[in-house]
This record gives sequence, C-alpha cells and structure tokens, in this order.
Amino acid sequence: MSPTAPLLVETRSLSKTYLVGDVRVPALADISLAVPEGSFLAVTGASGSGKSTLLNLLGGLDTPSSGTIEVGGTIVSAMDREALARYRRFGAGMIFQSFNLVAARTALENVELPLIFAGVDKTERKRRAAELLDKVGLAHRAAHRPAELSGGEQQRVAVARALANGPRLLLADEPTGNLDSRTSREIVGLLAGLNRERNLTVIMVSHEEGLVREFAQAIVRLADGRVAAAGGPA
Amino acid sequence: MRFADAVEFALASLRKRRLRTFLTASGVMIGIGALVSMISFGKGMQKNVTQAFKASDLFTTVMVMPGGAEPPSADPDRQRPRVMAPARTDAVLDDQAVAAISRIPGVLSAYPDIGFPAMVGFEGTEEFRLVQVVPAAVAASRSLKIRWGRAYDSDAEDGVVVSRSLLRRLGVADPASAVGKRIRITSVSIDLGRLATLNLGSLLSGETSPVAQETYEFPILGVNEVSAFGGEVNMTESAVMIPPGPARRIKRLPFSSVWDLFRMRDGRVGYSAVNVKLGSLRDLGAVRSRVHDMGYATFALADQFDEITRAFYFMDMILAAVGMIAIIVAALGIVNTMVMSILERFREIGIMKAVGAGDRDIRRIFFFESGAIGLVGGTAGCALGWAASLLVNRIVNFYLARQGMPFVDYFAFPVGLFLGAIGFSLLVSLISGIYPARRAARVDPVVALRHD
Repeated sequence: MSPTAPLLVETRSLSKTYLVGDVRVPALADISLAVPEGSFLAVTGASGSGKSTLLNLLGGLDTPSSGTIEVGGTIVSAMDREALARYRRFGAGMIFQSFNLVAARTALENVELPLIFAGVDKTERKRRAAELLDKVGLAHRAAHRPAELSGGEQQRVAVARALANGPRLLLADEPTGNLDSRTSREIVGLLAGLNRERNLTVIMVSHEEGLVREFAQAIVRLADGRVAAAGGPA
Repeated sequence: MRFADAVEFALASLRKRRLRTFLTASGVMIGIGALVSMISFGKGMQKNVTQAFKASDLFTTVMVMPGGAEPPSADPDRQRPRVMAPARTDAVLDDQAVAAISRIPGVLSAYPDIGFPAMVGFEGTEEFRLVQVVPAAVAASRSLKIRWGRAYDSDAEDGVVVSRSLLRRLGVADPASAVGKRIRITSVSIDLGRLATLNLGSLLSGETSPVAQETYEFPILGVNEVSAFGGEVNMTESAVMIPPGPARRIKRLPFSSVWDLFRMRDGRVGYSAVNVKLGSLRDLGAVRSRVHDMGYATFALADQFDEITRAFYFMDMILAAVGMIAIIVAALGIVNTMVMSILERFREIGIMKAVGAGDRDIRRIFFFESGAIGLVGGTAGCALGWAASLLVNRIVNFYLARQGMPFVDYFAFPVGLFLGAIGFSLLVSLISGIYPARRAARVDPVVALRHD
C-alpha cells in the first residue's frame, strides 16, 4: 500500500440495530472507517462487540439501519437485493470461521460456485477454479470433498472461492478461529501474500493479537459496537 | 446463472435425496396415471359408441310411428325420447302409408317394424324371444355383422338369422356349428271362431283356450355378432330375424303390440313403427317434415347425438375430477418435499447467497427441482396409466369373451392425451414449486450462515 492510495472502503456513521421482539438491540453505532485500497486492516474486539456485524455489512450480506457504505465508488448501502447479490459475486469475497463450504461438492466445485452464479461457461470456470486451487496450494486436493480435507485445507479452498470472480476486497471473519496456531499463521500468511501480490484489500476480524500485530497494517478495535481505538500495529 | 447450470443444480440435489425424490415423483406418477387412465377410458367409450353408431347406419335411420298417445313403458318415467309430434293423430301406419313413405325423395327403403313374441327352441332348450321381420335388403346391409354363415338372399328365402347371444342362451358354444341346423319358432294365435262362443266361465271351468300355439322350423342361415356398444337399440341386432316371406306363413297375432289396437281407425290396424332408411343424413329434415305432414311422428337417433356428445363431455369432466384428487395430493407432496428440502439446505442456501447467488438464482434452482419431479412423475404416470389400462382392458375382455362379446378397446390413447398429461404434470409441479422457491429465495444469508 502506498501512502497515497485511494480509498476502497469508506463507511460513514454506520449503525445497525436488531429488533429482538420489541426490544431494539444496537449492534453497531456510528462507525466511520476509511480503508485505502491495498491495505490489510484487522478488526478486533471482544465477542459481541459488533465485529461480525460490521463484516456482514461490508460484505453485502446485511443492510445497515443507518449510515452509508461506499466500496470502490459505489454506495453499497443503497443497493437492492439483486444489486447486493452482484456485489457479493464480484465486489467482495468472504471467508468465515467455519469455512462454509458446500459439503456435497468437491474442492474444485466449491471454487466454481461464484463462477456459476457469474454465468461463466463450464470449461472456463473449471480452468479458473483449478488455477485458484493451485494458487492456494491445493491442486492435488481438487477432487476431494470438504469432509476429506483438514481445517487449513478447507480454509484455503474458501480463500480460492472468495477470489474466484477477482474481487478487490477480501473480508475474513475470524478465519483462524477453528485452526491450530501453525495453520492459523499459514492462512493469515496466505492472505497477507495475496494482499501484497495482488494489491488485494483485506479486512480481517480476529482475536489473535499475535497474528494481527504480525500481518495487519492497521487495526480497528471495537467495543460495544463503537470504534474504541484505531491505529497501526502496536 | 446459466439455464443449464440451474438444471444441473436441481438434478444434483434430487439425486442426492434419491429416496425422497422417488417417493414424491411416485405420488405424481400415481396421480397422472389415474388421470390418464380415467380420461382414456372416457375417450375410449366415446370412440366406441360413436363408431358403433356410425357403423350401424343408425344415423340415417328414422323411425316413423303413429301419433297420439304413447304406449306405456315398463318404467312410466321413461318415455320414448324426443319423438317429434305430428300434426294429426288419426293417420294409420299401414301398408299404404309404408308405400307412400318409400316414395318420398331421399328415402332408400321403408319397412314396417314387425315383431312377434315366440318361443324359440334349438335342440333341447327353449327361450322366449321377440322374432323380428326384417327384409333381405336390410339383413344384407353392412349394419348387420354376420360372423358365421350368411344373410338371406331374398324376402322369400326360407331361413332365419339368429344372434350369437341367443345361441349361447340356448346352450350352443360354437356358433359355426349351428349354421345349417334347424331352429323351432312357436307362435301364438287366437281362434276367432271359438272366441265368439266363449265366455270367461267356460274358460275357467277347463275348456280349451281359443289361444292356439303352432310350431315352425327354419334352417339357421347365419349368426350375427351383437356389437358391444349400441346393443339392442339397433333392431337389426334382434335375437331372431326372419324374412317377410316365411313370416307371412306363421300364424300369429296380427299386431306387434296390444297398444296398436287402440290406434285402430275404420277397422284398420297399423304397424307400431316403420323403419325408414335414408340415403344421406342431409335428407333427414326434408323427409321428416313430409312424414309429419302425413300425420306421423318420427324419431331419429341423429337428434340424440348432440346430447350423447354432451354427456361424454360431462363424463370426461367427472373422470378428470376424480383424477384431479390424486393430482392435488401429489402436488401437496411436492410442496412438502420442497419445503423440507429448504430446511435441510438452509445453510447451503446461505452459502450460495454469500458467494453471489441472487434471489432469482435460488428461485430458479428450486423451481427446476419441482419441475423435474413433475416431468419425471408425469412421464412415468403416462406409462403407468397406459399399462394399467392395458391390463384392465385385457381382464375385462377376457371375461366378456367368455360371454361371447367381441374384443373391444375400452381405452383410447390419443397422442395429445400423453403430451397434455405430461404438460399438466409439469404445470402442477411448477405451481407447487412457487411457494417453496419464493421461500428459499427469501432466506437471509446472515441467519442461514449461523445455522447448523
């Protein structure tokens, strides 16, 4: 990331309130972030601080109660359902703590999924999926189903899948939560490598202070749905 | 998402849940099978009856009757249908009238409907039957299906044609063996001379009755097959047919029905009916109005045909309604299966949405899934309906053949029926898929991804 890089992600006064029965439960309040393109931002905080809610909003899985989200010059928070689906398909890739692979599909087929929804023809998407698996070091596991893969391998498949349609933004929600420390380091290392090589903007939610300090260029700490601290790796 | 990919997704999901897919499609199969066999039965009946009518010349036959009071039937509520009323009621339907009717342009032939009750005997057995006097021209016409032997050549030929069903009643298993053998016809007549000197008292005290019986013998020239449809409506399918020549030799009551006596005018007794054969159905209106002008009533089966057609539509609708019950049950089965499928794949739907599937993509996948169930179930249902109908047809014909009835296809399968049934099955399954597909599309990915 160059110091003068343009902003890829910008949120202004972002709030999310859930209605539980008749009670309004605030999850996020007044979040304003500016994430330059090509940066690696870590979001930390205690559980329930609103980290995952923020990531779901940035990933277009959820919509804010108020405030705006702008990604690559487009106001994501104003999109309708179909536009949001297109944004998830092309604009932002997501990976999760529990990998979220489709159990009935092989590693290759899982990577193909976003390409299928993008309408890419079969030969081309097989080629691209194989290439991506190779990139994450899993070419030899292409025909295996998730149950036959280790946690680290599953998360690599998820990373390959998140990159299938070439998004500029990768969102990682506790990607190492289910992995041992060695594998965790490999996965975050993989994300950092992609960040460097492809100028991919990465926003990662994580608990793991060590990994965050080692790889992230900026850290935002949330507490009770608000930004408690923001800065570089301390 | 491409169309082919959506289809592949749907099929993959159905393959994964084989047993449930099979059971749901079986429900559709049974429903469509029931519908197809019901409708094919209705179509088959319609085809058979229409063909029987056309083959038997009934459309171009008009029955002419004297006007006035109708004779009572066994069931007082059942009147002779749609008799066209005449202008006069005093016209006697005698030989002069028959000759006059024959001369009307468009009339091929006219012959009185003469029948008399008789005891018919063959070898050791006897049956009461109505003997019908039928001219040779009519007996030789295509309307009479003589399967064994032949029809009589002239009105004077000495011999009769009998029906296969009568022979069976008389204990003859092989109709061919009866041809050439002699049949006994015993008729009754009244000794008018003795009648004058009789009173009721003497009759009861044991004096011989003025009613005399006489037995005649005739060779059986031919045996006709009664068609499975149309049956006794057609007088040419009566049990015993005799040419006018030998019929004149038989001493019998000089009227077909006692009701004819009430229509007597100036001592003349007319026939109870005259059969008029037309050259073409087009002449029906003209001939009929001439006959009405002469003072007689007419009855033509052609009038009934519209009503018969309407009755068949009604029958089709009832049969289809019965079949529809099975379809509705099958449709509910599809809805149930698809809703279950959403619950099972809740997380998968969330994943698909997270990686970029739109509402439309999800809707399509579920829609195609239920469509595939309908298509497979519908196609299998056509095969099932066809096979079941074939089996029922075999069984029914097996039993009817033992009663001497000819082989009949009771079911008809026009190509349109199959195509329509498959199309209908697809339509029903797609309609059944609307709710589950919409529900799947509305799944919130955040909730679905949290779901285990």
